Amino acid sequence: MSFENKWGQDERLFEPIEKTGWGFRATVAILLVLVAWGATSYFRQVKYGLGVTGMAEPVSWGLYITNFVFFIGISHAGTLISAILRLSQAEWRRPITRMAEVITVAVLFIGAGYVLIDLGRPDRMLNVLLYGRYQSPLLWDATSISAYLTASTIYLYLPLIPDIAILRDRARKWNFIFRILSLGWQGTAKQQKVLNRAIAIMAVLVIPIAVSVHTVVSFVFSMTLQPGWHSTIFGPYFVVGAIFSGIAVLIIVMVVFRKAFRLEAYLKEIHFSNLGLLLLVMSLLWFYFTFAEYLTGFYGHEPEEMSVFWDKFRGQYAPHFWAMVTFNFVLPIIILGNRRTRTILGTLIASITISIGMWMERFLIIVPTLMNPRLEYSRGFYFPTLTEWSITIAGFALFLLFYVVFTKFFPIISAWEVKEGREEGLEEVDHRVRSYLPDYGN
Amino acid sequence: MKFPTGDKTVSIIQYVIYLLFCLFVAGIIGWIAHLILLSRELQDVPSASIGISIVAIPLFSTLIAIFSYVFWGMKRGKQ
Repeated sequence: MSFENKWGQDERLFEPIEKTGWGFRATVAILLVLVAWGATSYFRQVKYGLGVTGMAEPVSWGLYITNFVFFIGISHAGTLISAILRLSQAEWRRPITRMAEVITVAVLFIGAGYVLIDLGRPDRMLNVLLYGRYQSPLLWDATSISAYLTASTIYLYLPLIPDIAILRDRARKWNFIFRILSLGWQGTAKQQKVLNRAIAIMAVLVIPIAVSVHTVVSFVFSMTLQPGWHSTIFGPYFVVGAIFSGIAVLIIVMVVFRKAFRLEAYLKEIHFSNLGLLLLVMSLLWFYFTFAEYLTGFYGHEPEEMSVFWDKFRGQYAPHFWAMVTFNFVLPIIILGNRRTRTILGTLIASITISIGMWMERFLIIVPTLMNPRLEYSRGFYFPTLTEWSITIAGFALFLLFYVVFTKFFPIISAWEVKEGREEGLEEVDHRVRSYLPDYGN
Repeated sequence: MKFPTGDKTVSIIQYVIYLLFCLFVAGIIGWIAHLILLSRELQDVPSASIGISIVAIPLFSTLIAIFSYVFWGMKRGKQ
């Protein structure tokens, strides 16, 4: 694409759209290979059935449902960072909201897709449409995820409109598409008012939807009487975990694109420090919920509950469990609790350990319980096969591919919001801070 | 023949996208209504379906209302 240089210092935001380097091509090629590898494995699974996976009664859920819960969880990055920071008028949000919103939309598609993959026979999805029963929390999931996906897509699209209009006025290639998507945006006062109002309403609306989505995901487990699942705090526990992993993935994405697109001027130490502090708080909250959850189970000392408990604490899954505690709590506390280590590198390391730890947490919620069922089945066994690992890796690759392709068409940092912050934000913040003080009027 | 890329074509495609989005939301609302009717017909706890629909239908309606507000607001707000 070819542009006129009108955006001065923010020209860098449009560079990735204008120039296609070898890095972009190589990344897309590698990701496409991984996705194709996963697709081949999936077709093999459809052909031969779920027998090619490690799942067998009583362990009927494994990596696929782990990935489903994990991906739906990280979708909370968009909601928390973008909506809450927008509503609280946190000015430092401006360069990171778009990145967060894109994560939400991308991972929701992938997360929901894993349910379809887990079905074994995808054609049976039609049964849900034709004969679905709303007593089932699985159908609550289907409804709430559809609502969240619709709301998140609108919430991503609305703040994108002025940037699409900029691209429409600059780009020669794809101009026709940008003209359609910009909805005739000219930046008039009336249009600005409509857009700002709609974004504000969406920011309010999307928060309860997001909270309800992960609560409903937790209901899939907690509405059963299975040991380790039947818990009243599963809803908030899942929501906390979701926000926790969402922020971690957002930080990883920020570091990667900061480096790849040379966005150091936009994504500064302060952004990582602030998000690192948020991550620290979430780490403490996560530990609090984990502690409460396991202590309650232990204190009741129900035999079925204890089989799962000891499996995690000193049995087959003890290495995974203690690794999870180290990754989600010990390391983040050490790194993020200290101002000297709460650097970009520090928050990146903590975010990577948290992402791995939270994936393990999802796995540890699902598999050990199914291995120790309350009903009189013999103890189960689960070891994921190459097919499951391939499809899992393909899911992560698809997420990255979606993200990388998005950056080829749209600026990954909201150009108009950064400009607005520079032109109006300073004065607005000054006025707001003054209004908090007793010596000044309203 | 060259594909027309004038303002009229752009406008038509925008209306088509808007209609598709309305159809998508209408489809979901129709699906929920179908599940309510089915549960009533089979006497299979219709209250559960009604309970969910009380939340879901207004929610999807709000989403389409917000999108419509922006879609028409952009058109009307042009100079």
